[in-house]
Formats: sequence, C-alpha cells, structure tokens
Amino acid sequence: MFAFIVKRLLAGLLVLGTLVVSIFVLFWYGPRSPVQGLCEQRTNNRCTSEFRAQLEENFGYNNPMLSELGKYVGGIFTGRDIQLGASTFVECSAPCLGLSYRTFVPAFDELIRRLPATISLAVGAAVIILLVGVTSGVLAARRRGTVADKALVSATLLMSSIPYVLFALLIYLYLNVINEVFPEAGYTPLTENPVAWLSGLLLPWLALGLYNSTQYTRFSRGAMIDALSEDYIRTARAKGLSSRTVTFKHGLRSALVPIVTIFGIDFAFLLAGTIFTEIIFGINGIGRWGLEAIQIEDFPVVQTTVLFGAIVVIVANIVVDILYGVLDPRVRIS
Amino acid sequence: MTLPQAEVQTESTAAPGAPKKAPKAIAGKSPTRIAFDRLRRDWLAMASLVVVLGFAVIAVFAGQIASLLGVSLETPLASERINLISQLPLEGPPFGGYDPEHPFGVAPRVGTDNLAVWLYGARTSMIIASTAAVLSTVVGVIVGLLAGYLGGVVDRVLMFVTDLFLTIPFLLAALALAPILSDRFGTNPERLGEVQFYSVIAVLVIFGWMTMARLIRGEVLSLREREFIQAARAIGVPTHRILRKEILPNLVAPIVVAFSLALPAYVAAEAGLSYLGIGVTDRPSWGQTVAGAVTWFDVYPQYLWQPVIGIVLLVIALNLLGDAIRDALDPKTRR
Repeated sequence: MFAFIVKRLLAGLLVLGTLVVSIFVLFWYGPRSPVQGLCEQRTNNRCTSEFRAQLEENFGYNNPMLSELGKYVGGIFTGRDIQLGASTFVECSAPCLGLSYRTFVPAFDELIRRLPATISLAVGAAVIILLVGVTSGVLAARRRGTVADKALVSATLLMSSIPYVLFALLIYLYLNVINEVFPEAGYTPLTENPVAWLSGLLLPWLALGLYNSTQYTRFSRGAMIDALSEDYIRTARAKGLSSRTVTFKHGLRSALVPIVTIFGIDFAFLLAGTIFTEIIFGINGIGRWGLEAIQIEDFPVVQTTVLFGAIVVIVANIVVDILYGVLDPRVRIS
Repeated sequence: MTLPQAEVQTESTAAPGAPKKAPKAIAGKSPTRIAFDRLRRDWLAMASLVVVLGFAVIAVFAGQIASLLGVSLETPLASERINLISQLPLEGPPFGGYDPEHPFGVAPRVGTDNLAVWLYGARTSMIIASTAAVLSTVVGVIVGLLAGYLGGVVDRVLMFVTDLFLTIPFLLAALALAPILSDRFGTNPERLGEVQFYSVIAVLVIFGWMTMARLIRGEVLSLREREFIQAARAIGVPTHRILRKEILPNLVAPIVVAFSLALPAYVAAEAGLSYLGIGVTDRPSWGQTVAGAVTWFDVYPQYLWQPVIGIVLLVIALNLLGDAIRDALDPKTRR
C-alpha cells in the first residue's frame, strides 16, 4: 500500500513538472511578444516598439529562457523578489507563481483570494449532483423496465445532449433576468453574509448540479441494477429483510463504490474550471479570472490557473486510486 | 438510449459466428449487415439520421439555399432595416409579424439577415466539428495502435503524454492556446480570420484525441494476444502490415461509435468556445450569434433562439444517432 502511494505520488509529480515546464516554454516562445497585452494596457492601446522592448527587458524576456525558467521554478519553492522598474521590487513569497501583469500582485495570493468562490460553487453543485443523481438512479433501478424508468433515462439523455453553456445561459436568462424567480446570482463570502451567500449561489448550484446529475442517474441506475442482481442480495431477501433495507443497506452500499470514485474525478474538474457557470452567473472565481487574464494576455495568471486545475485533477486521481482500495475490499493494490 | 426492440426469432438465430451450414430458411448475414438492418428498423435512429442529413445538406449548399430563399449575408445599409435609435429591426420580429423578405428577421444593430447567418453558421459549425472529429480520430487511433501493439517504452511514453493532456483543464488551456496560435500564424491581417478558423480546429484536436487513444489501446491490448495475430506474427508479417490489415479492420466498430459520439461533442465545444470569445470572426457561426444575442435577449429573444435551436437539434440528433449506432454494432444488446 505504502509503495503504491509513493509510486502514484511520483508519477503525479512527474506530470506536474512536465506541465510547469511546457506551459512556461509555450508562453515564452508562443506569442510574438509575451508582453504585448501588458504594453497595450499600460499605453491605452498605443503600444510603441520602444516601450515594448523596455517591458521585455524589465520582465526578463531578453535573458536566456532556461535561466528564467530556473528563476520561476526556484520561486515556487523559495519565493523571490521580482523587479518591476529600475528600482521597484515586488516581494513574491513562496510559492511564487509570478506577478499578474494587470495588478502586479503575486498570482498565488489572488488565487487564494478567489478560491472560496469556486469552492463554494463546486461543493454546492456536488451536493446536488449526488443527491439528485443517486436518488433518481436508485429509484429508477428499483422500478426497472417501467414507464417511469424509461422516461427518466430518456429525459436524462435528452438533457445531457444540450450543450451546458446553452443550458446555463437559458436558465440564467429565464429564471434570473426575465422572471426573477430566483434571487440574483452572485457571490458573497459565507463569513460576510450566509443568507446572501446561499441565495446568490442557489441558481448556479441548480444549473451546474442538475445538468451534471444526469450522468449520475444513469450511472447509479446501472450500478444499482448490477448490485441488486448479486447473490448476497437474494440471501438478504431470503432471510426476510425489508425491501428498503435490502436496497439501501445492502445494495446501495456496494453500488456506491464506483460512483464515489468517478465522483472524485468529476469534483476535481468542477474545482478546476467552472468557467461557463462563473461567466454566465457573474461569480468572481478562478475560471472567470483565467478567462479575463486570457483576454488581456496576462500570462502569469493564465499559467497559474491552468496549473491549479492540473494539480487538483492529479491530486483527485491519486486520492481516488487510494480510496478505491479502501472502499472495495475486493481490490488489492500492489 | 433507443431501447432496441426485440428482434424477430429467425433473425437472432443467424448469429455472426453461426456455422455456415445453418438450415436453409435462415440467411447468413455478416455482422455489418445485421447492424445495418437493426439500424434501419430503429425509427429514432432513422429520424435522427434525417435531421443530421438535413443539416449536412444545409452546410454544403448554404449559399444556394440562401439565394433560393432570397436572403444574403450582404447588408446594403443598416439604416434601411434598423431603427437607428433603438437599434432594433424596423420590420419583422421582435415587434412586427412575419417579414417575407427576411423569414427569421434581421439582426439588431447591424441588420444582417438572420436566416442567411443561420445557414452559413450551420456550415461553419459542421465543418469545424467534422474536421476536428476526423483529425482527432486519426491521431487517437495512431497513438492507441502504437501504444497498444508495441507496448514497452513506446506504450509508457505515449500513455504518459495521454495522461498529461487529460489532466490539463480543457477550457482554460484551449482558451489560452487559441489566441497564441492566431497571434503566431496570423501575421497577415487579411488572413487572420482563416488562421482563427484553423486554430479552433487545432485546439479541439489537441485536447480531444486522448479518449480515442485510450479506447483503441485497450482494444489492441486484447486483440494482439489473439491467435490470428500470433499466427500473422509467426509467419513473419511486418508490423505495419499487421496493424493495417489484421488489427485495424477489427477496430472499425469502436472507431465508428467513438467518432459518431465525438461529433456532437465538438459541435457543442465550438459553440462554447465562441461564446467565450475564442472562435471564428470572419464568417458567421452559431456560437458567435449566441454570444451576440445575449445582450438583446430581453427585447429580442427570437434572435437568441435561432442559433440555440440549431445547436440543440443538431447535437441531440447526432447523439441519438451515435447511441443507435453503438447499440446496433454491439452484439450484446441483441435479444
């Protein structure tokens, strides 16, 4: 078990290291000038080549790429001071992921500041996904073959055929703009005002949760049907347990194992980027930050958001692998 | 979804592997033939196919259909069609009724004909989605074949790259990469639109080939241990020939299924990307119209609904068709 965890961690670190380097190289060589966006922003779209050259000099783009990459990687572990002008330095403590070209604030600090919004969104949506998805899946499995079951499965398939961006957009426009059925969407920190936090996130949660719950309906229906056809279920029935006990205590428990593992990965992707939800409902989370950074070519921020997403997914993969061994006694990890 | 109807008795006995000397009443059918027969009997699949073909016709003949209906992308003067103060159309929706000159109405502010934009938008969506699906299938199949058949170091390296791409958050990375590609290759402003078009396809392919690669690798792993492959290897058939002549024909079913389910995903992804502002700008596209229509939604909802209905209808039809093809090709679903 221990060797397995170490092996998985090393593999994850290798993926992460490759990503850090390749993203850095991409943003170094990719655009014609990495500071074009910054230059235009500082000069109100009247970027001159002299000013651009000066910015390139200031941000170290005239130094060899490898030495700058070394500084960047070193900064992640020990922090560093980043030179802005001739004598202005900004202290960027470890883990330093560079400065935002827009605000000159360390990107990591801004990431932490925006994290609660994204986490709130993801956790709330996850609760809805599990509650709605698993409940409806179990109900469909118990009524397998009936009209209700077929209607439910068809409805989930139809719903997941609609692109999410359109689904969220129409929900927002119809339930928030045209008819104010739901309180206005937005994010207020939980510690500031719990009621506003709840009411502002209600509609985004529903949109994100209901849309993603459809695949869990189908998935938990399948897992439940498999579990209910096992021999030990027949045994449980034979010894006279109630149908409810058999379904939930014996059937659902084993059906949940694959669901939990898939859910782990999906939750990571929710954390890594709920861009559409954040853009449409106006929530200042990480996805929206990344998109805004892309629009003004704020490369350190783009780098940070992509890396953050990748880290979350890698960690979730490792956790799920380990959890799988713990949850399912049949799985022996070696 | 399409729950396959119970098949007639005579049909189910003619299993693909059934001996040739079956009673004469039962005709021997190839697996492909059986799949086609089953597909033809599935009314939902046929309905989806009609819708998809309809969209394909629209995409190919967008220009001809537009001129047949008397609409075009050209707008002589916006003020002829647009109220310059409210910037809304003078005739037709949202306030007027049906305007025979512009069946779908005209766009607010610029006054282009909505039907023409819709037709050409269908073309853009279909071309981007099908090109991206073909290219990512090719890349995925090649990577999967090599990784699965060669094994060893090749397998480990290719799977590492696959896992690497799978951990990258698609939307953010695609959004970051597309402008870089456009910036790098779009040095000539006249060709910028074309470069944007290709960079959307490139981004979709770069972040879309991994599932196909994993699927094919899994299939190849089990195929290469089969007797006929071992026999081919034993008599000294070169590797590229084994891959092409022995393994690839056995992968047609999973490739067709994965391809037909990838198409709708790319239509949706293209719409999503252009909603976020990374997409084609030199030609109409549905995603672009959606993004533009949101600000007009409260007074002119029809303007938003046109591209939305197009996208949703196409994606649902493609998904249903893909599901039906999967069911038809899967021998396990026949009862």
